[in-house]
Amino acid sequence: MYAKKLLPTIVLWIFGILFFLPVYWLIASSLKSDAEITKFPPTLWPDTMVWKNYPEIWDLLKFNVTALNSLTIAIPTVILTVLFSSMAGYAFSKKRFLGKDAMFVVLIATMTVPPTVLLLPLYFIITKLGMFDTLLGLILPFSVTVFAIFFTKQSIDDIPNEMLEAAKVDGSGDFRTFFKIVMPLLRPTLTALIIIDFVQNWNSFTMPLVLLQSEDNFTLPLKLALMAQESVSIPWSKILAANVLTLLPVLALFIAMQKQFVAGLMAGAVKG
Amino acid sequence: MSYIRRRLGDLSAYVFILPAFLILGLFLVYPVIWSIIASFKDIKPMALQKSGLFGIPGQFVGFDYYVDALQNPLFIKALVNTLYFGVIFVPITMLGSVLLALLVNQKLAGVNFVRTVFFIPYIVSVVSASLIFVFLFNGDRGLVNALLSQVGIAGPNWLASSVWAMPVIAIMTCWRNIGYFMLIYLSGLQSIPTDLYEVADVEGASKFEKFRYVTWPLLGRVSLVVMILLLISSLNVFQEVYIMTGGGPADSTTTVPFLIFNRAFHYFEIGQAAAMSYILFVIVIIITIIQKKFVDKRLG
Repeated sequence: MYAKKLLPTIVLWIFGILFFLPVYWLIASSLKSDAEITKFPPTLWPDTMVWKNYPEIWDLLKFNVTALNSLTIAIPTVILTVLFSSMAGYAFSKKRFLGKDAMFVVLIATMTVPPTVLLLPLYFIITKLGMFDTLLGLILPFSVTVFAIFFTKQSIDDIPNEMLEAAKVDGSGDFRTFFKIVMPLLRPTLTALIIIDFVQNWNSFTMPLVLLQSEDNFTLPLKLALMAQESVSIPWSKILAANVLTLLPVLALFIAMQKQFVAGLMAGAVKG
Repeated sequence: MSYIRRRLGDLSAYVFILPAFLILGLFLVYPVIWSIIASFKDIKPMALQKSGLFGIPGQFVGFDYYVDALQNPLFIKALVNTLYFGVIFVPITMLGSVLLALLVNQKLAGVNFVRTVFFIPYIVSVVSASLIFVFLFNGDRGLVNALLSQVGIAGPNWLASSVWAMPVIAIMTCWRNIGYFMLIYLSGLQSIPTDLYEVADVEGASKFEKFRYVTWPLLGRVSLVVMILLLISSLNVFQEVYIMTGGGPADSTTTVPFLIFNRAFHYFEIGQAAAMSYILFVIVIIITIIQKKFVDKRLG
């Protein structure tokens, strides 16, 4: 039984090690001393673990400020995305309204728009709305996504109409039905959406790069990237320690919620 | 009156759709329109700054910027670079994700754990991944060159080489994406009815034949969708280049989005940047249409 599967198991593990290697190298290197990091050939594991790389880079990254900025953007964006997108998904799935078909076609068409097309106009529009160099400028414009609308619509399609009509007969208004019946039924979908959207916002780089100017507003990835580019004086071990700090929150979230995340992605992945 | 009422549908529907309508209208649909108008205009940044939200001031220049872009050697070079990226990225990611999906779809020792490992790079941000790969492929003391020197090969200074810089960026992108596309293939694999394999067993098909005649054709639709997604993402490579190489050496990693970003935010050539971005858009649309035709033909 096992002998037959020995070869695929070995291949599987070889790929597993290969895929994990960059992450391993990141962690191992982040703990090396300034001298050891420049050695060639490099040591596979730090001779002495230099934990103080972390508190030192914590200060340089201004982790307290930048992480708070990242959270201040990601959390409201995710909450609004979940709310607004599932509302729209509900309307598209269960309601009739003027221009519904046309709007749906437009939504599908926008999925082909390269992000590069949006970059410049978004910069001007957000600036003209007075949101340049504000965290709000990175929340509001991204508080609905077409993906999230389709993603929630798919699950709302599965809710039987009879259920909603029964609620109506019982005297439940539209909003009550939405919040008390539809939203609770969407729980697995919304959990997956929350994780996907959070990771996306947390990792976002291009829009913060274009829209943020003062250092007090920088998000973690932006600060990390600029730090790595601008200061040749910071040794690689510390840059990598900063990298670990940036990664840790999403990694923790992913490991805690892995099942919902993967199930959600697989469900939403191929419906074209 | 009741006719109008019926045509309008549920009044509450408008409340449900309103936030999405306003936000997507202002921050997705309007930018698409903004860009196409801007691409036909000679826009002075100063005038644009003073205009209102819906004003796009400037003199009409027709298709000048489109012609300029297509005659610009750097734009052509950026297209070729993008192609170079795609030629490496698309096949490796497709083959890699099919292979890994086939592996993790079996009951192997530790398969759940390894599946998680495959997926981790996808949640690593492009910024983080880029920095990790810059370090791995460092010419003087990177791990890759250390491993190569073990087998007697002196590795190049990857990111400083106009031949090797782009492949490194492509490989990094493969690493980040294979886990995700593996999942897509996995859901494709799991939707193949098992009785097809039973029939194949009865007919005495070999493992390879089962893959060739059952699995692969049935994954065809998934593969086409995956291919569209990969081709489109090949056209959108920006952050990786910004962080890893800054478009160099000698413009060898300047992709179209990177070029557009520079035009827009360093030189403030708004109309030119918008025109280039629309050429990119047209390419995406053409790819999508061709692939869609392909899908319809194969399935119809």
